[in-house]
Amino acid sequence: MRRDAPILAEALTKSYGTTRGVVDLSFEVHAGEVFGYLGPNGAGKSTTIRTMLDFLRPTAGRIAVFGLDPRADGPAIRSRVGYVPGELGLYERLTGAEYLQDFAEFRGGLPRERIDGYAERLKLDLATRIHELSHGNKRKVALIQAFMHEPDLLVLDEPTQGLDPLGQQEFYAMIAEARARGGTVFLSSHVMPEVERICDRVAILREGRLITVDDIGDLKAKALRTIEFHFAEEVPAERFSTLPSVVTATALGDTVRLTVRGELDEVVKQAAAHTVVDVTTREPTLEDIFLNLYEDGGAS
Amino acid sequence: MSTATVALEHPGGFLAKSVRDQRRAATGWMIGIVAIALLYASLFPSIKASSADLQSYIDKLPDALKNVLGTDYASPAGYLRGEIFSSMGVILLLIYAIGAGARAIAGEEEARSLDLLLSTPLRRSQVLRDKALATVAIAVALGAALFVVLAILGPVFQLHVAVGNLAAACLMLASLACAFGAIALAVGATTGRRVWAIAVAAGIAVVTYILNAVAPTVSALEPLRPLSPFRWYLEPDPLVTGFHPANAAVLLGIAAVGYAIAFVGFTRRDLAA
Repeated sequence: MRRDAPILAEALTKSYGTTRGVVDLSFEVHAGEVFGYLGPNGAGKSTTIRTMLDFLRPTAGRIAVFGLDPRADGPAIRSRVGYVPGELGLYERLTGAEYLQDFAEFRGGLPRERIDGYAERLKLDLATRIHELSHGNKRKVALIQAFMHEPDLLVLDEPTQGLDPLGQQEFYAMIAEARARGGTVFLSSHVMPEVERICDRVAILREGRLITVDDIGDLKAKALRTIEFHFAEEVPAERFSTLPSVVTATALGDTVRLTVRGELDEVVKQAAAHTVVDVTTREPTLEDIFLNLYEDGGAS
Repeated sequence: MSTATVALEHPGGFLAKSVRDQRRAATGWMIGIVAIALLYASLFPSIKASSADLQSYIDKLPDALKNVLGTDYASPAGYLRGEIFSSMGVILLLIYAIGAGARAIAGEEEARSLDLLLSTPLRRSQVLRDKALATVAIAVALGAALFVVLAILGPVFQLHVAVGNLAAACLMLASLACAFGAIALAVGATTGRRVWAIAVAAGIAVVTYILNAVAPTVSALEPLRPLSPFRWYLEPDPLVTGFHPANAAVLLGIAAVGYAIAFVGFTRRDLAA
């Protein structure tokens, strides 16, 4: 483990009164990757993020950002981080331009063109007072605020909530650019297609505990997929159920339906012994994987 | 990285923003305090003319009220004490300061804007300090406005008070506002609840105001009187006797303790989600 990893959690635990926090989280986010942080609402995503920014102090364990302690070295960390909170609170009486200029100043000043450039890309009118902006446009203000100083680490908590499709596309482009600059992205979300599209690795969180941290490709390879053979004649399910990769096999007339983990090779070879009329399969989506992991309770 | 370094060493602009945030509200309070000063000043000549009637009315007031408002409405100092420095002026300055103290941290936290603010290189302690300084600056500006109006326009309405004494009274009023603003800041910064901050600070203000009023005539309460900030604010009356540094020190001491509690409470706790 590199000491200056963008994010390093070691047995991080945060508990508070009535709300469940997070329990014994350990993971590392590598420089230059887009790291997805998944879980339903209440799983502890925001709690984890808030410890990185020193809004919350861990009950046990630690979290380091760029090898630094959020409490002792808060300003040094935060000058390299851009943050979009899940629950937005902006200064509603200001215009977008006033808000962003203030924030640019808190960061030691930024060229005005940088702000204008992002506003143009996101089609945000900076002269409008924030309280008159739609939910999606307020989110754009927060996004610009997070991206404008081109931080080394972006910490984004459900950043695309309420964004229109074009705004989302532009957001994905901004993520790609941040990454091309060598930046790291920590993205919390429960929108699976989005995570599948932009993340390299994901951590899945369930009731405050990590149930997996893995490459999306590897997760898919390990995931259960369903494959259905339509044969010219009846084929008993037992032909398949003995294969090691097959988890379940059911036959209904001349159709055999299998759930398979891992390689399909031996299943296909077995099926080829018969006359195959049709075969349907579908790559498992992150959503399938997520739901499977949740059903297993993380046992896999 | 150069930007980051600059930001780290000079996470600037926050004091300016804190003042700017309050500018609109401050303008309203400024107009209010000037209007009240003008209104009461302009009424003085007619009050003075009917001072015999007024005196018989005052004589019938409860002792507690006389203790605070004073009994000498026919003199400029007595009139200003009764109408402004122990009543309207106090109410105005305290409402401003308690509101600002409660909003500073707790208000931002409840509006969820504190998260983004503190995601910048600004430290919690800096946010607290600059917001407190902005509130002090505006409280002093309100006291100064009151002073300017009464010093310049008072004589026009026969309100002749020694300028030094008037300045002392305005300074004490601003100090009193700082004390109660700091109490609201302490509760708000420690709990994150704006309503609690307002309730505690306003509650203490009302209770200690009454304590100061009734203590001179209720012997059981007399020993408690020093606990009231109003005792230090108005006794002896700065409009008559001028500036008493020790009394000002008590009020500013309350402000300092409130600020210290706010600092400890705010820098050590978790922020509300």
